[in-house]
Amino acid sequence: MGLIDHRFEDNFITTSIDRVLNWARESSIWPMGFGLACCAIEMMAASASRYDIARFGAEVFRASPRQSDLMIVAGTVTKKMAPVLRRLYDQMPEPKWVISMGSCSNAGGPFPTYSVLQGVDKIVPVDVYVSGCPPRPEALLYGLMRLQDKIRKEGSVLRRERVIPQGQSEPILVEA
Amino acid sequence: MSTVINFFKTIFLVDLLKGLWVTLKYTPRPAFTFQYPAERRPTAPRFRGVLRLQTEPGTGAQTCIVCDQCAKACPDELIALGGHREPGQKIKVLDYFDFNLSRCSFCGLCSEVCPTKPIKALIMSEDYELGSYSREAQVLRVDQMYDGVSIEAYTR
Repeated sequence: MGLIDHRFEDNFITTSIDRVLNWARESSIWPMGFGLACCAIEMMAASASRYDIARFGAEVFRASPRQSDLMIVAGTVTKKMAPVLRRLYDQMPEPKWVISMGSCSNAGGPFPTYSVLQGVDKIVPVDVYVSGCPPRPEALLYGLMRLQDKIRKEGSVLRRERVIPQGQSEPILVEA
Repeated sequence: MSTVINFFKTIFLVDLLKGLWVTLKYTPRPAFTFQYPAERRPTAPRFRGVLRLQTEPGTGAQTCIVCDQCAKACPDELIALGGHREPGQKIKVLDYFDFNLSRCSFCGLCSEVCPTKPIKALIMSEDYELGSYSREAQVLRVDQMYDGVSIEAYTR
């Protein structure tokens, strides 16, 4: 950047490929609606005209994992649903991100029982945790802005795969 | 007869103009959307946001008396607090107040049982902007309980 900045005529813009790709990625995050419980109502409210998630370029809720970049896990993840969620996550193309919305998907919420997964980060790597029960639509938009901050700072070309080792909840980065 | 009417309807684009008329009716109205990061919608009077510890308004002194009632009231046991007694002082000094936000369902039982008067030590504030990058950051420490949760910056 520094070597070629301000050395061309005015209609040239110099930038790094990272910044351009990250800008493109952060401003058109297509979420996959993964509404599982009451948080899904707030997610729908966030995409409706009052809060309008389209202002962040994330209005296209896809029904198919193949077309989406972001999985918003909104609601209680039961152990019966967990393999399905993981499978849908695996079907999403890279780059992909996960927002865990609400207390239930953050840590199990008020259900410390045998049937509820204690945090969705046990099966998929979560980028942003949005707390609330359920979070307001504004809080979801806030979480989306936090995710955009994260994408802005990520390296885009040399992207490494995130893998959760057996028996751990935090993902680690391995070379793809 | 109906085929003729349909033919003229198709030619003069009646259905399209009907749809456009609806669009035109809504166009001059003011926008319905809240520009969220710029303007913040006021919360309802009894809105329950994230927990907050209050100090005395003038002096900034601690109001919490470390009675442990909030920790007992919490249905998910998310609050852990402790303090020590200074010699010669009546009130206990709050040492730590750990609040595990990740499971909290914002029921408000903890602030309901808080007995301190006239300033309630533990209240449900109006803050709802809660987003973190890790599970560790969701356990709020005592300084975050006083000042509120700040925006976490992402570090690669």
